[in-house]
Amino acid sequence: MNRRINVSISEYRLAEPPAVLVTYGLGSCLAIALHDPQLRIGGLAHTLLPSARQMPAVNRPAKFVDEAVRRMREELLARGAQGQRLTAKIFGGANMFQPLLGASENGIGARNVRSARDVLDALGIPLLAADVGGSFGRTVEFDPVSGLVRVRAVRGREGEMTF
Amino acid sequence: MSFTSLSESHLDALKEISNIGMGHAATALSQLIGETVYLRVPRVTVTDIAQVPELLGGAEKVVAGITLQVLGDARGNILLIFPRDSAQRLLSRLLHSREKGLLFNELGASTVKEVGNILASAYLNAMGSLLHMTLIPSVPLLACDMAGAVVDYVLIELSQAGDMALMVETEFHGSDPDQELIRGHFFLLPDPASLDLILEAVGGRG
Repeated sequence: MNRRINVSISEYRLAEPPAVLVTYGLGSCLAIALHDPQLRIGGLAHTLLPSARQMPAVNRPAKFVDEAVRRMREELLARGAQGQRLTAKIFGGANMFQPLLGASENGIGARNVRSARDVLDALGIPLLAADVGGSFGRTVEFDPVSGLVRVRAVRGREGEMTF
Repeated sequence: MSFTSLSESHLDALKEISNIGMGHAATALSQLIGETVYLRVPRVTVTDIAQVPELLGGAEKVVAGITLQVLGDARGNILLIFPRDSAQRLLSRLLHSREKGLLFNELGASTVKEVGNILASAYLNAMGSLLHMTLIPSVPLLACDMAGAVVDYVLIELSQAGDMALMVETEFHGSDPDQELIRGHFFLLPDPASLDLILEAVGGRG
């Protein structure tokens, strides 16, 4: 049985085989998986907010999409991953309460997704898969051996999908 | 004042306010479902935002969650969480229907939201008149999904101000011995900036 590492809100964790990274119940939050397929290590972040910019004192940088991606990348590089081999997948960013919170493209979920695309783009990390949006929750399980991510949902789209 | 620097007497004050608010909400619920509604002693928890889904029974547990913003003199959020089967029982009772999946049709969803509205209004009215504040609930929002996903919108809002959450929780349940119990959890999550106002208002009354 693989070791499962639980990634809670506002943090990221790295894993090497045979461990898998799991994060539960993402709504508007965004999970970002970074992977070095050759070294077979990866990291998974569970972020709340788009950007650390214009924020006062930041004592938990991993709650921001942009900071989490940057720091996770640095740590992966420090462990021997190669910048040009890194790939990314993102999950979550839903709008749980659709109609009342205004247009969904301005919702926090959509802004988290945009921020992730921007920072990945700026760092030159290709985005291989994005299972984002909708109005349902997701649980994400990332296996750094295969790079595959299993996404479980109980509403809106029942069952499991692999990305 | 930060959530972590609250004294015992502050916590007691919050419990007491919540108890009074919840008493009114329970009366309203009891009239709706036609049975006595029992309350547990309120619990005040100051916790890391990341722990909130665990305190709601686990991030992946499927719940019916109603959230309302508290507007007016103090701000915050109210969360009303029913385990899925309890929400279903509540609806069967209110709509006199044995149909499955009531939560997912329009009538069911709107009924649950209305229950949320009634409970939150009763709670905030009582709290408001005690504290001499005007407290108004926003339109209720409903999601029936993993608990983590249902509440992360509220956590995102809180996380803009800090990394801690203060939750005033009251568990309630119905009483009908012939039917399966309806249970739920009522949470008040005041904004950090409003906590001072609330505590000041309590203190001012000596």
